[in-house]
Amino acid sequence: MKKIPKAVIAGLVLAIVLDTIVQISWKLAVTGIPENASIPATALGAFSGIFFYFALLAFAAQYFNWMQVLARADLSFAQPITALSYITVLVISDRSLNEKISLIKVCGVALILLGVYFISRTSYKTHHVNHP
Amino acid sequence: MTPKWIGIVILLVAAFVESFAQTFLKVGAAGGPRILSSPYKEFVSRYRLSTSKNAWIAAGVLFYGVQILLWTLVLHLLDVSIAFPMDSLCFVGVALLSMTFLGEEVGTVRWLGVFCILSGTILLAL
Repeated sequence: MKKIPKAVIAGLVLAIVLDTIVQISWKLAVTGIPENASIPATALGAFSGIFFYFALLAFAAQYFNWMQVLARADLSFAQPITALSYITVLVISDRSLNEKISLIKVCGVALILLGVYFISRTSYKTHHVNHP
Repeated sequence: MTPKWIGIVILLVAAFVESFAQTFLKVGAAGGPRILSSPYKEFVSRYRLSTSKNAWIAAGVLFYGVQILLWTLVLHLLDVSIAFPMDSLCFVGVALLSMTFLGEEVGTVRWLGVFCILSGTILLAL
């Protein structure tokens, strides 16, 4: 198995951080908007807060970072590892947004961690004979 | 069809679109269609536009845009607890497309990882 380069690891960590920022700030941007609000009213509500722009900025940064990761690693290696952001979002939501974490959720987290562990044990890049 | 089933169908389409978006971005990031496996490489080489990596990136970004629209629609029709784990079906989609079109080696261990993650997200949504 080839050793995973530092640039790939750094890119994956950054991808998870940015994904978390996108999701949390998106959630904060739409918090307080009534669920039955119309689509224009929801959009207007989201645009008026600062969190929407946080989400947008992180989303743009995510694009550039992700292209760097994909240039270096297999898609089928890198993409499932970003599932770790489900966990970071869950943990942060629990602390600051008062969502409860149940035993079932703990098992879910454990399975995701196990899955990411399995994937990290595979070679990060398929060796192609015709284009190394 | 009930709104729920319409939502599920749209969600499956959305996961499919997202998997393709990722695959297109990967081709763009890798510099163009030379990373495609046969016979797809030969097939796209008939179109001049396919040699431009920016065309692949643009296709990826476009598919992402479509996916975001579909996803917004889904959330109007389905409960997040159904929509959220089903969206992670795109991990399966990405593995299948990477194997087929990009010639990536997705062995037993990587599949095991994908299915653990899929099961994990289902539990998180319960």
